[in-house]
Amino acid sequence: MFAKFLDDLKFITTCKKYGLGLWQCPNFLFLMMGIITIATMIGTFFVSSRFASEGTTVMSVTIEVALIMIIGSLVIRGVEKVAEANIMKTEFISIISHQMCSPLSAIKWNMEVIETESDPKECLPEKQAVFLKNIKKSNEQMLKMVTDLLEVARIDQGKAVFEEKVFNLADLVKESIVGFQGLAAEKKVKIESQIEMDPASVCGDERKMRVVFDNLIGNAIKYSKEGGKIEIKLKKNGDKIIFSVQDWGVGIPRYQHSKVFEKFFRTKNESRYRTDGVGIGLYLTKAILKHCGGKVWFESEAGEGSIFYFSLPIAD
Amino acid sequence: MDNPQKILIIEDDRTLQSALVEMLNKEGYETASAFDGDEGVQKAGTENPDLILLDLILPKKDGFEVLSEIKDSPGKNIPVLILTNLEELDNVQKALDLGAKTFMVKSDFSLRDIIEKIKENLSK
Repeated sequence: MFAKFLDDLKFITTCKKYGLGLWQCPNFLFLMMGIITIATMIGTFFVSSRFASEGTTVMSVTIEVALIMIIGSLVIRGVEKVAEANIMKTEFISIISHQMCSPLSAIKWNMEVIETESDPKECLPEKQAVFLKNIKKSNEQMLKMVTDLLEVARIDQGKAVFEEKVFNLADLVKESIVGFQGLAAEKKVKIESQIEMDPASVCGDERKMRVVFDNLIGNAIKYSKEGGKIEIKLKKNGDKIIFSVQDWGVGIPRYQHSKVFEKFFRTKNESRYRTDGVGIGLYLTKAILKHCGGKVWFESEAGEGSIFYFSLPIAD
Repeated sequence: MDNPQKILIIEDDRTLQSALVEMLNKEGYETASAFDGDEGVQKAGTENPDLILLDLILPKKDGFEVLSEIKDSPGKNIPVLILTNLEELDNVQKALDLGAKTFMVKSDFSLRDIIEKIKENLSK
């Protein structure tokens, strides 16, 4: 009967969700804390009212309740963080395993196709070229994933290496736009750009800034609707350079805005739209820009698209 | 083959699709391809396949929803073979409960193994 009562209050569901026992489950602990608080209040009242004045009784009960609530909420918050870390770990393993397995399977099957072309009359170079290209693409996908994950680990441990040199951000924007023409054509998305500052000198790691543009411009194209467009702007604002990229694609629901730059976070809209990616692109983007003295922010509404901005100080 | 049997492949990864299509065509099967869940449901109706290979992680609609909709449509008797990297027990059970004939984990199966499974299920 107690089990049914707990089930009705969704405790069992929450425990299963976190992979925890009942006495480690934050919701259940909160209920227990409530019961203990009430019992303490009643007990203190009866004891104090026999031996102390009314005023002292009220004060004692109030102080005890306040202390129990403060300590209790700290404990529960701590337990919740442990539970969240536990889920993240499990989801991380699941996401990474799946994302790694897909390109590995692609390499295996495409190699099998080439191997079966053993008859020289059927061994057409142009046909084999298609499967070799598939293998190359899968290999590059895997490499990028592993490289990005390693970079995240280095940044977390404070061991990432950043070059410091002055370069023209406008040149890098133009190169990135050229680099994305293929993907944009495939997705039937038009790239429009307005570069109002050239040269736009900044100090930082040019190679890592490419990763920032890969993520921001790449995301804008990937989440745009077919036939749509993205708008890229680069302009000066006081002593800063502001870059922005706007798309009119799937957008990010408001309730998920606070998590966008977290590791391994992918919005529900995102997962419905594309299935690749492990959710570390924006985390890396923010870390790289922060190191260069910059900031990143965004505006977005579900179904209406997003604008991602970043600012960097102008180098002397 | 006079009347080649048709296999519908519902898989969003194009590099996997092209390998599957090539091998199935070489075995004498006709193929149709869908790259997301919505397209998969639509083509299950319009292409009249003899068998469906279905991935579970798809854009727009996942494999479980696609399987559910196919089993609720006139094409409900088309054998559906799951082809995925999600090996967890509850995914396997869920897919079989929804009416999938078999569950294959991509990393464990070669193309030759998949073709054997297809032949097994088409002859039933």
